[in-house]
Amino acid sequence: MAKFLFYRLLQALFVLVAVTLIVSFAIRLTGDPAVMLAQGAGSITEADLERIREALGLNQPFLVQYLNFLKGLFTGDLGRSFMGGTPVGDLIGRALPATLALAFASMFVSIALSIPLGVKAAVSRGRWPDQVIRVVSLVGLSFPNFWLAIMLVLLLSITFNLLPPSGMEGWQSFIMPAATMGIILTATNVRLVRTTMLETLRSQYIMVARAKGLSDSVVLYKHALRNCSIPLITYFGLQFGGLLGGIVVIERVFNWPGLGTLAFDAVAARDYPVLQGVITVLSLLIISINLLVDIAYGFVDPRVRKS
Amino acid sequence: MKKTTLFKACTLAVAMAAASASHAGSLTIASPQDPGSWDPIDTFLVNWASVGTNIFDGLTYRGPDLELVPGLATSWEELDDGKRIRFTLREGVVFHNGEPFDAEAVKFTFDRLLGDEGARGPQRSNYTAISHVTVVDDTTVDFFLYQPDPVLLTKLAAYGAMIVPPGYIEEHGEEYFDTHPVGTGPFKVVEYTPRSDVKLEAFAEHWGGAPKLDSVTYRFISEPSTAVAELQAGRVDIVLPPTVPIGMIDSINAHPNAEVVSVASPTVEALRFNTQSGITADERVRQAIIMAVDRQAIVDSILAGEGSVIASFQGEQSFGFDASLEPYPFDPQQAQALLTEAGVEPGTELQIDIRGNDATFAEVAQVVAAYLQGVGLNASIQPYETNVLLNDIIPAGRTGAMFQQKWGGWTFDFDNTAYLMYHSGERWNPYDSDATLDEMLDAQRSITDRAERETLLQFVARYTKERALEMPLYSLNALYGVGSRVENFEPAPDNRIRLTDVDVTE
Repeated sequence: MAKFLFYRLLQALFVLVAVTLIVSFAIRLTGDPAVMLAQGAGSITEADLERIREALGLNQPFLVQYLNFLKGLFTGDLGRSFMGGTPVGDLIGRALPATLALAFASMFVSIALSIPLGVKAAVSRGRWPDQVIRVVSLVGLSFPNFWLAIMLVLLLSITFNLLPPSGMEGWQSFIMPAATMGIILTATNVRLVRTTMLETLRSQYIMVARAKGLSDSVVLYKHALRNCSIPLITYFGLQFGGLLGGIVVIERVFNWPGLGTLAFDAVAARDYPVLQGVITVLSLLIISINLLVDIAYGFVDPRVRKS
Repeated sequence: MKKTTLFKACTLAVAMAAASASHAGSLTIASPQDPGSWDPIDTFLVNWASVGTNIFDGLTYRGPDLELVPGLATSWEELDDGKRIRFTLREGVVFHNGEPFDAEAVKFTFDRLLGDEGARGPQRSNYTAISHVTVVDDTTVDFFLYQPDPVLLTKLAAYGAMIVPPGYIEEHGEEYFDTHPVGTGPFKVVEYTPRSDVKLEAFAEHWGGAPKLDSVTYRFISEPSTAVAELQAGRVDIVLPPTVPIGMIDSINAHPNAEVVSVASPTVEALRFNTQSGITADERVRQAIIMAVDRQAIVDSILAGEGSVIASFQGEQSFGFDASLEPYPFDPQQAQALLTEAGVEPGTELQIDIRGNDATFAEVAQVVAAYLQGVGLNASIQPYETNVLLNDIIPAGRTGAMFQQKWGGWTFDFDNTAYLMYHSGERWNPYDSDATLDEMLDAQRSITDRAERETLLQFVARYTKERALEMPLYSLNALYGVGSRVENFEPAPDNRIRLTDVDVTE
């Protein structure tokens, strides 16, 4: 087991280095932060730009800059934003909870919708409730999430003035972004719940339960759902990682003060340290989730441990 | 008994209403970007200036009318042939922390800007004419210059020349000052949450009188549709340029509680030519290309009228603008004749380089290409990532026959454009070298006589038009989204809205 853990951690470390290396390299191809910083200055000269680059440490070779970043990373120092020098750690410290809160709220919406709908579809397989749920989820899958977000804002904020169109100022602020993300996720999850449920309903113990004369709801929610929860939880867990990546667009539309907005603005301003920091933290989160899932498998299934 | 209660309740209600009416309001402004630091010398972002102009004062002040008036200096005098300027300072002014403003604060500000701290930021390049500042007495300072700078007084009204408090910075340190700025301006910063918002409160002791508002919050919203939604929902009162896209003007104006207010801005657009090689090396071809395009039609249709056709690469507010200089007319026949004369074959291809993320300009470029098609030129449009175009393609002289140049200068002085676009060897001038232009551009930099300098700059404008160094397209308007509860709002061409007189109705 220790050997298995060691290899998985080594793999995770390799992935982290690879991701940060690619991101650090790629963003440096997209332009010069010194120019962005001085964009209002008509009369900026090459000598001025060189001076600013030196102050930002951009005159060093790429590998030196990257190694400095790695060194900082392992000592817990993510550097400072090019835009005003705020420590990147502080910015992420503020943004991460906002992103996680939104991600959890979205997952909650999705689970609360997809389980009853998926179960209903499975039970009424082939009949009209199943057809309706499947068609609606297909429509949901085809929505671009930013479009749905803008439609919600138009309807609930501008037309009816019920909810704040952007920002994070209380529970009302969560409704639209969490609903947008949640509804898009639900579209996929309903299908998953339906399929898993259908398989479970074919099992012999379900037949036994019914033969015992148990009521439909007890059979469904106590026996069947409990047994399909294992693959579902695994899937939802992995989905959470993917969700963190997809949240960038939603955060921007709702001006949510999370990692997505931070990353988006950092790209626009060529703020290398902030972008590197955000990508590192997101990668760490996703790698940890995958690692936890893998380790959990390892515990359950001895075959995984050996491979 | 009941009546008495009712009466009391009514009195109380009236009293409360009166109290809230006499209580000045708060204003919320959407700004597209958090500059990250409020230190005047750290950035050169217009989004710094829109807030900074409320926190800080300079020795001079320039409001929305662009007239230069006294700020923290009450008067000034040019001495030694323009190489020394003596400022008399305003008395009784205090910083937000209670620290008095005096000659030492002015000296400290410029020592800092021209010293190590200033070397790390982009502001110093604006003030390189200044050699040093000396204190004459508490209310008098002398600025010693390496050479006269005709634009210096304007530059002292904004950005890096904002006066900062020496005692406060020495006590708290540079880093603290970045996020907890203190100035002498009409509003003081009470809370700053990076990437989210900055909250300002009226500074009643301001020398120009107390602001009418109690507080102002700037929220950083980068997505235009989000900022506009906040405006329409009544949660934001002003949306600062350049947020509002032209395509949203109608939907904002259609809303009962919001409107778009516009004013001519310093931003100008042109399609510049490769004057070194290819067909555009021929002056006649360049003139033909300009005449082939109906620029007024572009302003009317694509810009929804929010701009003006220009004859040279500057707007009407620019110092050096010449109202008598006419743009080339739209004349496809004359264009055709010039092309034939220059021996350009029908179907000749040329490439137009543009910024890929600029949707409005992409439309403009397409229309230009269509007009060029009309005189037999096959134009292709090459979009580049903005940074790539600005850093790699233009300075290296690797553009197509024509390339987009968007320009704007907060000083509203044609020097800031002309010198960088036309002087030999400048970053933005990869193709042309003209001894006459070099001479004129160098000469005007040391002339402090305004009339004489204006004549020279107007000559430069006329000369570049005759040589057809670019196709001047238009100057853009700055678009403000303004809520109906805002009063006394005057749009500033340069985003620097000072909120002293602005008020809100509840």
